[in-house]
Amino acid sequence: MQSAHVLIIEDDSTLNSQMANLLQAQGFCTEQCHDGLQGLSTAINKSFDLILLDVLLPGINGFEVLNQLRKTKRTPVVMMTACGAEAERIEGYRKGADDYIPKPFNFTEVLLRINALLRRTGLSEKPSHLSPFLSVDEISLQRENLQVSYAENSVEFTAIEFRLLWTLVENKSQVLNKPFLYQAVLEQVFSRYDRSLDMHLSRVRRKMMALGMPAQRLATVYGKGYVFT
Amino acid sequence: MKNSLLWKMLSFIAVGTVILFWSIDMLNRQTENEMSFIDKQYQQQIIDYGLEAERLYLSGNQQQLAKWLLDLQAKEQTWAAVVQSNLITMGGSILEKQFTDSHRLGRNVQWKIHLYFKVNPVMDITFADNKTRFLIRLPQRMRPGGYYPLAQVLLQIALPFLLLSLLTWVLYRHVMKPLSALQEATHKFGAGDYGVQINAKVGTHKDEFTTLTNSFDLMASRTGKLIVNQRQLLEDLSHELRTPLARLDMAVDCIKQGIHTTDSIERLSNESAIMRELVEDTLMLVWLNNEMPTLNKDSFDLVELLEVICNDARFEYPQHCIILQGPTQLPIGNSSQRALNQALENIIRNALQHTPTAHQVIIAVDRQNDKLQVTVSDNGPGVPEHLLEDIFQPFFQVDKSRAKQNPMIPLAEGTRRGGFGLGLALAQRQITAVGGNIIANNLINELENSVKGLRISILLPA
Repeated sequence: MQSAHVLIIEDDSTLNSQMANLLQAQGFCTEQCHDGLQGLSTAINKSFDLILLDVLLPGINGFEVLNQLRKTKRTPVVMMTACGAEAERIEGYRKGADDYIPKPFNFTEVLLRINALLRRTGLSEKPSHLSPFLSVDEISLQRENLQVSYAENSVEFTAIEFRLLWTLVENKSQVLNKPFLYQAVLEQVFSRYDRSLDMHLSRVRRKMMALGMPAQRLATVYGKGYVFT
Repeated sequence: MKNSLLWKMLSFIAVGTVILFWSIDMLNRQTENEMSFIDKQYQQQIIDYGLEAERLYLSGNQQQLAKWLLDLQAKEQTWAAVVQSNLITMGGSILEKQFTDSHRLGRNVQWKIHLYFKVNPVMDITFADNKTRFLIRLPQRMRPGGYYPLAQVLLQIALPFLLLSLLTWVLYRHVMKPLSALQEATHKFGAGDYGVQINAKVGTHKDEFTTLTNSFDLMASRTGKLIVNQRQLLEDLSHELRTPLARLDMAVDCIKQGIHTTDSIERLSNESAIMRELVEDTLMLVWLNNEMPTLNKDSFDLVELLEVICNDARFEYPQHCIILQGPTQLPIGNSSQRALNQALENIIRNALQHTPTAHQVIIAVDRQNDKLQVTVSDNGPGVPEHLLEDIFQPFFQVDKSRAKQNPMIPLAEGTRRGGFGLGLALAQRQITAVGGNIIANNLINELENSVKGLRISILLPA
């Protein structure tokens, strides 16, 4: 992961450089392009692990670049767009984009998307939570049958609830922010108004309380995320 | 009436034209009739000729009669004669009485002349003996109907032409009145007068034109409203962005001069988050307004969603009392968790913003026949009755300084938008997108007859 090559095709040179600098600081190798045609030829002629592609570009737009690129290469592409409309999002997926980030975004989100995508395409280390068993304090989780037990009691979780609890328990005492949890548990972009994670968490909490665990061990850190203590 | 313009045109053109041609035909016949009689003065003259002929005949002077006849023929340039007719029956047949009484060789002067015969008819003045008669071919100068060809031209061409022109003009006027109003209105609308309406000018009769003008009026008012709203939204948005932008600039200056550097960096990220939120909300609002999407892909538990929202709200407003009433579960299908969450979150936040600390906001949820009802009641100052619908307009404010006037309502830092901001506007559109509806009304304290808060009621399809 540390040596992953990322191509940034973005016409705003400030944003382009900012992202390049931040990615380099995370250990990525980056290359920058500022228009569609140049970006396309770079993407075709060189080898990259991932491409960050803006939609509105001078010359040819991002979708066109993607179309042309897909004729020869399968390089993972993350589209970035300022047009928040759902239609464009769907078009991006249909035309073969692997992921999508709406502008404005912050770097944490971008990094999460990049890492998730690299993990999916097998370039990054495998996530740790694929081990079959996890046991912290009185809690033990068994991946095979999604069984969660606390002290002597046990109950079956849904896949998402199980993944959520696993992630929290695995990172005990660490506040996990929502963008991260969305990525790790729901495999989707965090949206400010989405409550699915919170609802899953409240179900997990209820189930754990039924097993006898004090509710405050799955704590909400307002404005940040959740923590298991 | 449906197609009333059709019926109007039909009566105007079909019935009008039939009546027109029928009356022209009548007039024509009457004119021909009246023009077919020999002028009274000429009738008298022919009768006088007859009397003179009879006098000469009775005097027995054949020569004088012959000379008179010759003179007369020369004078009138016609043929004239005095004859005696004698009807003889053959084969023992009997003559009908009319032939013995009124048999004639020529025509009575009082009879009509057939104007379509080119040759003048012969006039017959029967003498007193009832068998001798004076015959004269009607002199050309006495032939009636001299003006008949002219009358024919007038009646058959000029008159229909005039009347049909008149009919066309009336129809044209009728059609052009709404059309020119439409043209004028379109022009005005194009020039930026979005309040233009046609119907008031065109009148109240109902026909296809009123349908057209009605749809124009509807289109104009909708489009106009949309343009005005978009303009207002853009104006308000830029205005709302100014404050966080200014604070952001200040923070940058602070960092440059090394004052409160850590705080200022925190401030930068806060201000950028505020601006980002504002822009996202505005884009969302524009999207909901323009696309009017139907959001119905999720099924979830409404109570669970409300609990999650209330928990966050308790963090955000720790000094308020937030009460959630209702069953422990209430499944909802064909809805959107994000849309509903955003709507409910905004409504509850609005209720909290307008409720003094330590007072309560009650959120009640329940099944209402085949719908689900959520009501959010606050303890705030309410909204003037006539503005109850306007609170769902973007950036609407009952009174720009209301928040400041009421010291009981401290606005938390970062809650920037006094008044209603985009929250309720978004809420209303999100509720519409999931197939529900939303209304606001004031809660009245019956005893003191005063407003004790605002209640927002949402009905959702189950």
